[in-house]
Amino acid sequence: MTVHPKTFGYSFRRILLYVVLFGTSILMIVPFYWSVSTSLKLERFVYTSPPQWIPNPLVWVNYIHVLTRIPFPRYFANSVFVAVVVTLGHVFFDTLAAYSFAKLRFPGRDQIFFIMLLALMVPFQVNLIPLYKIMTLLHWNNTYLALIIPNLTSIFGIFLMRQFLMTIPNELLDAARIDGCSEFGVFRKVVMPLALPGVATLVIFTFMGTWNDFLWPRIVINSEKLFTLPVGLALLQMKNTSNQAQIMAGTVLTALPMIIVFLFMQRQFIEGMTAGALKE
Amino acid sequence: MTAIPLPHRFTSSVKKYAMPYVFIAVPVISLIVFLIIPMVVSLWWSFNDYSGLNSPKFVGLNNYVELLTKDKIFTKGLVNTTMFVLLGMSIGPTLGLLTALMLNQKVRFRSLFRTAYYLPVMTSLVVVSTIWLMLYNRNGLINSVLQTFGLAKVGWLSNPHVALISIVIASVWQGFGFETVVFLAALQSIPRELYEAAMIDGAGGGAQFRYITLPALRPVIVFVYIIGIIGSYQVFDQIYVMSSGGPVYSTTTIVYYLFSKFMDLRLGYASAIAYILFAILVVFSYLQLRFSRERA
Amino acid sequence: MNTKKMLFCLVIILGLLLSSCGGSTPQPAVSQAPVTTQAVAEPVTITVWDYYGEATPIKPLIEPFQAAHPNIKINYEAYDWDTTQQKLNVVLSGGGAPDVVTVDMTWIPKYAAQGAFADMKPLSGGMLNGVPWEQAYTAGALKAITYNDQIISALYDFDTYALYYRNDLFEQKGIKVPTTWDELMTAAKALHEGEQYYYEFDADTFHGSQWIYENGGTLLSPDNSTVVFNSPEAVEAITFNDSLLKEGVGLNWTTDEGERIQGVKDGRIAMFSDGPYYMGIMKSAAPEMAGQWRVALHPYSKQPGSYLGGTGLAIPVASTKQEAAWEFIQYAMELENQIGVYTLAGAAPALKAALSSPEVNVEDPYFGGQKAFSIFLQTMETAIPFPYVSSWADIDAAFTNAMQQIALGDKTVQEALDEAAATSQEALNK
Repeated sequence: MTVHPKTFGYSFRRILLYVVLFGTSILMIVPFYWSVSTSLKLERFVYTSPPQWIPNPLVWVNYIHVLTRIPFPRYFANSVFVAVVVTLGHVFFDTLAAYSFAKLRFPGRDQIFFIMLLALMVPFQVNLIPLYKIMTLLHWNNTYLALIIPNLTSIFGIFLMRQFLMTIPNELLDAARIDGCSEFGVFRKVVMPLALPGVATLVIFTFMGTWNDFLWPRIVINSEKLFTLPVGLALLQMKNTSNQAQIMAGTVLTALPMIIVFLFMQRQFIEGMTAGALKE
Repeated sequence: MTAIPLPHRFTSSVKKYAMPYVFIAVPVISLIVFLIIPMVVSLWWSFNDYSGLNSPKFVGLNNYVELLTKDKIFTKGLVNTTMFVLLGMSIGPTLGLLTALMLNQKVRFRSLFRTAYYLPVMTSLVVVSTIWLMLYNRNGLINSVLQTFGLAKVGWLSNPHVALISIVIASVWQGFGFETVVFLAALQSIPRELYEAAMIDGAGGGAQFRYITLPALRPVIVFVYIIGIIGSYQVFDQIYVMSSGGPVYSTTTIVYYLFSKFMDLRLGYASAIAYILFAILVVFSYLQLRFSRERA
Repeated sequence: MNTKKMLFCLVIILGLLLSSCGGSTPQPAVSQAPVTTQAVAEPVTITVWDYYGEATPIKPLIEPFQAAHPNIKINYEAYDWDTTQQKLNVVLSGGGAPDVVTVDMTWIPKYAAQGAFADMKPLSGGMLNGVPWEQAYTAGALKAITYNDQIISALYDFDTYALYYRNDLFEQKGIKVPTTWDELMTAAKALHEGEQYYYEFDADTFHGSQWIYENGGTLLSPDNSTVVFNSPEAVEAITFNDSLLKEGVGLNWTTDEGERIQGVKDGRIAMFSDGPYYMGIMKSAAPEMAGQWRVALHPYSKQPGSYLGGTGLAIPVASTKQEAAWEFIQYAMELENQIGVYTLAGAAPALKAALSSPEVNVEDPYFGGQKAFSIFLQTMETAIPFPYVSSWADIDAAFTNAMQQIALGDKTVQEALDEAAATSQEALNK
């Protein structure tokens, strides 16, 4: 192999790149390391000075407490169920609607889109009580329906997918139509596969947003049987005191599934599909 | 041209437009039932004094007048929130784009790096705020680091001149991963051939960025800014956990103030705050969308 | 794709599992006041909301209560403090209010002003477990639960402030435990060393009001029509508080100092003023300091004083089962059950008899064998609840803002309090 003049420069750039990436990653991770570390400590060692970076003694009691004293598996299952259903709903409805807004022409298209955007501009607190009353009217209070149906689709997701779909060349769509595909067929066979990086992004955001949703579930759900994780974990905070270590254990357990989903999504969709796109 | 019987043209018209409407039907209905109707109700409340428990008392535009002319805390909130948005939306998307560009190179462990950047975004704002509360401690990590460099300790959350900046830092740290993920997905949709062709033509990195990357990213940049501004203007969780709007209202934001009014059972007043914010955001978004379309 | 199919199956399975055991609970009928109450002879289910969390003294009452009252079933729902307040706001307007709810006394002004809670006088016939209300509670406690001559909640646990101090340091340095403000200043000066052993205080209404009360002032005039927290006595009081800061012996505890327990443990704090629940926090988070701390009546200039807060049990006016709700509340206020407030939750029971009972007023080894609750009982005698006016939230915010400005040194005491008084008076007049 000849020594290309650029070899050294290239290596230096690559090293710099890795250093920057690594350094900033550490910055992102340190606070989380701290909460994991706290979760493995006894309460009396949580606030020590100087701070204890490595828990000593390292105890699992907080995790055991969280997993046994509250019905963690139940809350977990609720969170998974709601998040999965909502995410699937979003993937289907949001992408479909986004396709309409991005690629199809119909009267009122841009106006309707803008009006839908307006929905994002009002803080949720303000709609809380009227929405709650609507739930009462529909008898959906304290049911899974209240957690799922109002969240099956969102303009956030539609907006996101619309921007992604706008980059799809129209010729591909026309080609499919000429071949005799119905609009829905075009959507299924041409649009969806090309939109997969966007869909993966939507899945990540939607799953995460639903998983962490706290305000609405705690208002509309009364039965412990239907609590999602954030609502259930809040119970660990007693009236006047709070066991920091336990709370950290609870939050680590809550964040873990999402990290797994994220890693999974990355590999399966983004990596796989971009390989497909490159081949074209 | 032979005359086409009217019914035929009509049905083909309907057929042409039916599908788009069908596709957007579910979101539109969902929007009307779960968002528009509550919004109409709360808009009505904004013209009343309403505690939620007893009947609303109509007061016309009084709430709005008071908010815009007499309420000094609301004015402070408006200023604080605008500062927050300006700072956050200059730094956040820039960091996001930079990291996305870095990650788009052939790096090893890309998914691990991506996870690291996205970790804060995946965590709820409440947890992130709790963690930063610890970091901003008078004797916490950040001040300890400052001290080792011989600098003075900073009252990150107790100094009214610094508190808002502290919240911005924590928020940007938490949020720029969002932009990273979105930009990265967009970058990866750009066909490699375009870059290869450009290189053959002799275009350098800078030109490639300007003529290939940036235009391809435009739709996503528009998205990031519109969503970002709408979202940042509604900043709440960090304030709630870290500063409770203080000290001396230096970190009070519009939604935090709204929330406090809501908790005081002043629903009419709170709703009025919401609709002033709404008006601001409508104007912003409309301008942004127009601007982005004109360029096309 | 395989993954998609897997996800679908997972969802279906979970959905089947959860829907077979999930479901809604019977909702109490939405109704407006006035309300017809049911005779307790018919079987009835009441919903109880409890924010105590894990170590709750209320949940253990359910079984024995149901056993003693076979026709009353309890639907028990637990939420944390924040959630309870938010939910209560929503259900009081949106329907679905519980029959019994734990309310923080600081919430009472806004709910009382809106007539949200039922009057317990007619429900109870003037008696709490056979004892007139006036004898069951201290005068201050009774005032705290009375609004417009109605008793709108039963005080369940109380919160008043006493002085916590590092007795070991006092003995070591030969300092006398302060009973007056001058002595407090002397003690603080003698204790303070470098960055350690401060008198810690919070710049808020809870603590600010204490100084004012101790100097003979109040926040509002007795008829709640005029703001008087900028009166000469009040200004003098806050000036003393500020002097602790200016002399370098007081520590204003801002958010970035962290949790106060941190300061307790690392020695930054040698004295502070807080309520009985803090004893529990110290025991669990700072067990290594056992024996070093004591509590005492907070030093005062003219008379002892403190804010009065705590938790009350209230019945929303929309409840259709007020008689049954009252039965449960009365049960919770029985002596043995009030004692449970301490033994189970580490909080201070509001019933006078419980406070002075041997089970509660124990010699506490953590506090050197001191009978800490006898001190808190003393403070309860002179504690004053916040005024119940509908604009209380605005007044509270203005006063707290003034305290913060003073602590930052942005304004003088007189300026800050005058400005806050003007804002508050405006709010009060509406």
